[in-house]
Amino acid sequence: MAPKSLTPASTNVVQTLWKAYSDHTSDRLKFIDAFLVFLMLSGIAQFLYCVLVTDYPFNAFLSGFASTVGQFVMTASLRSQVNPENKNEFKEISPERAFGDFALGSIVLHFFVYNFLG
Amino acid sequence: MVQLRSLFLLVVSLATCLYARSSTGDSVLVVVEPNRQDDYSLFFDGLKEQGYELTFRAPKAEGPLVIEHDVPNFAHVILLASETKNFAKDITPQSFVQLLGKKTNLIIALSSKQTPMSSLAAEFSLTLPPPGTPLVSYFPEREESPQVIPVSVQANSIVSSNINPVWFSGVPHSIGNNPMIVPILRAPEESFASETDGGSPDSLVDAAERGGEGLWAGSQLSLVTGFQTLDNSRVTFVGGVNVFSDEFAQKEISKGLPSGNAAFARDVVAWTFQETNVFRIESTTHHRVNATEPPEQYTTNDRLVYNAYISKYNSKTSTWVPYPEIRDLQLEFTMLDPHVRTALLPVSSNPGKYSATFRVPDRHGVFKFVINYKRKGLTYLTSSMTVPVVPPRHDGYPRFLSAAWPYYTGAISTSIAFFLFSALWLAGDSREKKAKGHKAE
Repeated sequence: MAPKSLTPASTNVVQTLWKAYSDHTSDRLKFIDAFLVFLMLSGIAQFLYCVLVTDYPFNAFLSGFASTVGQFVMTASLRSQVNPENKNEFKEISPERAFGDFALGSIVLHFFVYNFLG
Repeated sequence: MVQLRSLFLLVVSLATCLYARSSTGDSVLVVVEPNRQDDYSLFFDGLKEQGYELTFRAPKAEGPLVIEHDVPNFAHVILLASETKNFAKDITPQSFVQLLGKKTNLIIALSSKQTPMSSLAAEFSLTLPPPGTPLVSYFPEREESPQVIPVSVQANSIVSSNINPVWFSGVPHSIGNNPMIVPILRAPEESFASETDGGSPDSLVDAAERGGEGLWAGSQLSLVTGFQTLDNSRVTFVGGVNVFSDEFAQKEISKGLPSGNAAFARDVVAWTFQETNVFRIESTTHHRVNATEPPEQYTTNDRLVYNAYISKYNSKTSTWVPYPEIRDLQLEFTMLDPHVRTALLPVSSNPGKYSATFRVPDRHGVFKFVINYKRKGLTYLTSSMTVPVVPPRHDGYPRFLSAAWPYYTGAISTSIAFFLFSALWLAGDSREKKAKGHKAE
């Protein structure tokens, strides 16, 4: 990965990357990516609060953080299973089946999260 | 003479408010040599007028006993036989200490002769000079002998401020640093204790050569000293019995200025016999801030209110009157150490009530509310009330912690985002299927 810098050549790289991404990704995948970005920001925010302010109800931190991380993992695997370019990897798994796994796994995750949240 | 005496009596009784009563009883035993009893007739008449019942007893007489079967027979005892060396069997320093423990008040007169009462005075940290050395002062210039000394009275909590100088003859004593000692009358600065027969100038010279060492002199000596025991009984040691005598009461200090002996004696008797400066805690209550009844136990971090009701004895009316003027009362909430020490402030709307509000500390255990108010000359106020403090029950903790709100919002936002995502994904899925279906056709 090219590091960010202020030289026009490097900025060009980031722009090219972004253009390639937005041109070649379907809307459905972009929707999943937006959800992934939101989860990542939420996780970072909780982590920063824990480190900078207090980790006082540590169980609450763990469950809130695990909620975002677990949901991120679920959504990332949904993305890879639903991507048409990976059809050869997941021959037995239809997109509907992938979504069903995603939903079930997420609901079980949320059950555990609210139990541990206190 | 009789006319002068009755006139004096009239003046004394008019000058004072008659009939001030003690809070602990009126029976007084006076131990005095029978042949000297008439020397104190003014003093005794004054006591009788105030309402005390006097019983006279010679020092060697068998009865009436001061204490019988561990019960004191009298509320107060005055011992004016200051030169007697042999007393009856029940008048001993030990029995007097026992009397003080049973809340009997004493006035004890000392003299330059060594008596059993000198050793009693030593028990109270009062050190007497060697025997045969009364107080001597050559100032102010006067016709009386140097051992009859006019002493000016400094105002303190026991004697009022406008008493004329008092005639005194007797021994001084030096007081130790026991906080329960209340000095009432200090020796004048120019006085000193020395032998009576020709020894005085030599002892002064000797002491001056040694820099004042070994000389009993000055206002560090006390002539009349009170002591209040932890049971709140009071004992006053008087350095010379002549303070109470008729002769000194009637002798003039200077032309036209009568002596203050009668008024001084009355003030000393009033303090010692529990008429003045007598306080008590009527009751103490405690409860949670918005409740009225005390709970069986407190929980840590509760807010509670403690109230104490304090009253003062009014000897004129023989009643206990609420007293709101104590400014430095302290309350301690103690478990081995005071966890909370706060001021008990008077409540202006309810005179005599003192109140404090505070938070129970974060420790559980058995705590005590302790009031321990000791001031010189005033009754010691002590009170201790025990109360259990328990940690919160399992459902006594707050349900949601305010420090955890970021985590609550994180988890809830993830759930909501998941549901929204699923809904929109399925909606998009059905739209795509419809489009594909159309394309297939």
